[in-house]
Amino acid sequence: MEPKADVELITQEMLLKIPYRWSTGEYIGEFLQELRDSGRIYANKCPNCGRFRCPPWPVCGVCHTRMEERGKWVEVGPKGTVIGFSVVEQSFLVPTTGDMLEVPFSVGIILLDGAPVTLQHRLQETNPDKIKAGLRVEAVFKPKEQRQENIFDILYFRTI
Amino acid sequence: MAQKVAIVGVGQTRHTSRRPDVNDGELISEAVNAALADAQLAIKDIDTVVSGNMDFFEGHYLNDAMLVDYTGACGKAGFKMNTGGTVGTMTFISGCYCVASGLSDTCLVIGWEKHDEGPTTSCISTIADPSVDRPFTVGALLGMALICGEYMNRTGCKLEHAAMVRAQASENAFRNPNAHLRKRYSVEDVLKARIVLYPLNLLMVCPTSVGACAIVLASEAKAKKITKKPVWVKDHITVHGEYNGNHYHNQFNLPGFPRTTTQMVAGKKLLQRNHITKPLKEIQVFEMYDPCAFVQMSWLEDFGICGKGEGWKMVEKGVTAREGAFPVCPSGGVLCTNSIGDSGTVRVAEAVLQIRGDAGEHQVTRDVKTALVSGFGGAFWTDLLLLSRTPD
Repeated sequence: MEPKADVELITQEMLLKIPYRWSTGEYIGEFLQELRDSGRIYANKCPNCGRFRCPPWPVCGVCHTRMEERGKWVEVGPKGTVIGFSVVEQSFLVPTTGDMLEVPFSVGIILLDGAPVTLQHRLQETNPDKIKAGLRVEAVFKPKEQRQENIFDILYFRTI
Repeated sequence: MAQKVAIVGVGQTRHTSRRPDVNDGELISEAVNAALADAQLAIKDIDTVVSGNMDFFEGHYLNDAMLVDYTGACGKAGFKMNTGGTVGTMTFISGCYCVASGLSDTCLVIGWEKHDEGPTTSCISTIADPSVDRPFTVGALLGMALICGEYMNRTGCKLEHAAMVRAQASENAFRNPNAHLRKRYSVEDVLKARIVLYPLNLLMVCPTSVGACAIVLASEAKAKKITKKPVWVKDHITVHGEYNGNHYHNQFNLPGFPRTTTQMVAGKKLLQRNHITKPLKEIQVFEMYDPCAFVQMSWLEDFGICGKGEGWKMVEKGVTAREGAFPVCPSGGVLCTNSIGDSGTVRVAEAVLQIRGDAGEHQVTRDVKTALVSGFGGAFWTDLLLLSRTPD
């Protein structure tokens, strides 16, 4: 239907600004604690199918089995190999902060040394011509006193 | 299925970027009235109403409560679906459950979205684990960009092939009066569009549209009284994938652990249990949920329609064109029209039009007896449906 010519089209603005507080849970909490305190990246294994997850995950989705606990975690990285990437050129509203995304923003799927497991994180390199599958990268951590127990305690992965 | 399920009516709004002339309910009414008219039924003939959209996109929770007057659910059974990209197909499948169980003789299925009311990509970003994944999530777009790069690396597909898919989609949408982006583009035009996120440019990703689509389902006994051209739901399957940690680890071949997608699982099971061994012959059209230009090619392979590495070659040879030997998305697909809550219901409705021979200008040249429909979304989840002109 085409709108009627004599109808005034009225819209109303609404801004949702709602605070939340999430629990990271046992495994992710311990993963973030290690990033902050030791600057180490950990992965864990499913005792049933043998697949790894990073960050360590409590339950294997495929087997529905409890994955290995902290004492058995495997240190991975800080070096790894990019197997997938994108460079975001258009900015979008970031729902967690309400700010616009600073672009270019480069994201890599990094196959970490030490186990067949990937971590998604930011790449320092933002020129898509200088990134390709197979690129070797390394995690760069925030200075210890500035760490905030979140995923950006790893600032990004730089090309090596 | 316990009781056979027939589609006896379909109706959709035109799709566009903005509809400031209607509110959410008025938009829904257009599709509901069109579907009831197509079935030649009144709302009193409907037992159950199932609706679906993503609450967060329009920013009001439990919207089926607010919109009950428009959906026609007042005094009837029903519920609401909210499953991301699959919401349209999942709403339809939920309607099928109602009829197949024998608890409903008729069911009205409604998918809708009014993307002109909120920031879609930001809302989608909230599906990712907030502590470790969300900071890197750019709606559904980032995952698309990553798997497109993976497909190019693995199979030798080039950007030009994605541009071919988009140019072909534009030809189809040009013929479809309900499609959103109906401008015709050449392969060169597509390649010139600005990059949104590498390797995808603006024309290689789906738009955000406004629209609604409703479908009327009926039991076998009812269907034969309602219409001379029922379309039968032969089978459907839903496959949830493991939460990828939004690392998309299942989307890549890792040492010792090969790539495993929900499309592979759904395609293998559905084709096998329906004894389809030559899908390119036994299925005549595929309305695929194709949110970006590469996935038409990669998912044809994953669903088992063609062999590994053959998807982009099918496009190159024109096989997937409207007049080709295996048309994919003759409606123009999600690439040209994407009001997420109805993107899946539109896929079903368009397949119904093709089977009935009612698709008009975008009718395929093959005689369509059997159609495949897919939905995609959530944590890379898949719905896959088989529709047929005959009940058996």
